[in-house]
Amino acid sequence: MNTPCHRTFEEALLSGFVDGELTQADEQRVRLHLEDCPRCRGLVRELQELREVAMASKFSEPNPTEWGELPRGRASTLFRSLGWVLLAVWTAATAAYAVWQVAAGPEGLAVKVLVFGGVAGLVLLLVSVLLDRLRAARTDRYKGVQR
Amino acid sequence: MEAILIPVHPHRASTGLAPDVDHARLVVEARSGDPGASEALLVLCRRTAFLAALQLLGNREDAMDVAQDALIRLVTSLDRFDVTRPLKPWVITIVRHLVIDLSRRRRVRRADSLEALLAEGGSEPRDGSVSPEQSAEHEEVRRRVARAVSHLPPLHREVIVLRDYQDLSYDEMARILGIPRGTVMSRLHRARSLLRDGLSEYHSGKGGRT
Repeated sequence: MNTPCHRTFEEALLSGFVDGELTQADEQRVRLHLEDCPRCRGLVRELQELREVAMASKFSEPNPTEWGELPRGRASTLFRSLGWVLLAVWTAATAAYAVWQVAAGPEGLAVKVLVFGGVAGLVLLLVSVLLDRLRAARTDRYKGVQR
Repeated sequence: MEAILIPVHPHRASTGLAPDVDHARLVVEARSGDPGASEALLVLCRRTAFLAALQLLGNREDAMDVAQDALIRLVTSLDRFDVTRPLKPWVITIVRHLVIDLSRRRRVRRADSLEALLAEGGSEPRDGSVSPEQSAEHEEVRRRVARAVSHLPPLHREVIVLRDYQDLSYDEMARILGIPRGTVMSRLHRARSLLRDGLSEYHSGKGGRT
């Protein structure tokens, strides 16, 4: 295995060779090199073994009863999404209207505390979500992965 | 002189979508509002979606959630699917986006090692051609490789999953990942080098056998 390797192409081509994904010219280059290089032959064999082992792996799957209901179709799915958006807009508008009415109105302290407390709760929830997103963005394990 | 190695196409465990089903016809019929076709399509795709999510995330509960969400996305984006292309890369593209979204939105639940999620037996033939001892040894090797895959960084783990577990071509991977084909090859090779490093202790213990 200590024979010097005089490879004139990138080592990654060995993976392409194992996967059968090279152009005819590249495959020929690799094949010719492998005839003279025991080191690369060993590497190719290891890569082949790794792939064979991974391909033969079988993962445990859910049994049919574990699956939830199948989506009913585009219309119901779209209505559900639209429903959530409308609900969010309605909540924000109602909260803003309540704050404005109570702030300007003659309601007593108890009513003001109830309304402002509820709205403050909503705002705090929103801020906590934003903070989580911010923290996730800073420690994103997928930064190098294109979306 | 040793025989020159030939690229292999080993027997593989099934990854979901049956090759003998006309997926394009199912998509066209589902688009036209046929509920039977729509249901058949979703049942076909959910296995692929689950397995890809499981292999990318390493957590069963998260994989189920992602697979369910992927089915909803599938239903709502049927019109955008090009029926001249294979279905599986499209399903996996949806799954991958959901996995990235999930990982960015919150820390995923405790990731189990893929090793713990392997089914007994792998794709071992049941005809008696493999002895129980060989079978047990193969099982052990599959577990070690799965454990090593679990420890790869996401960037490298996903190329191993797409190529070696999901058996996608470089062209399909390039489209899914949005990178050139050459980058797919170099990233995959780097991932395999990292895998080999992870398994090196085992190699030295077993005299070079993977």
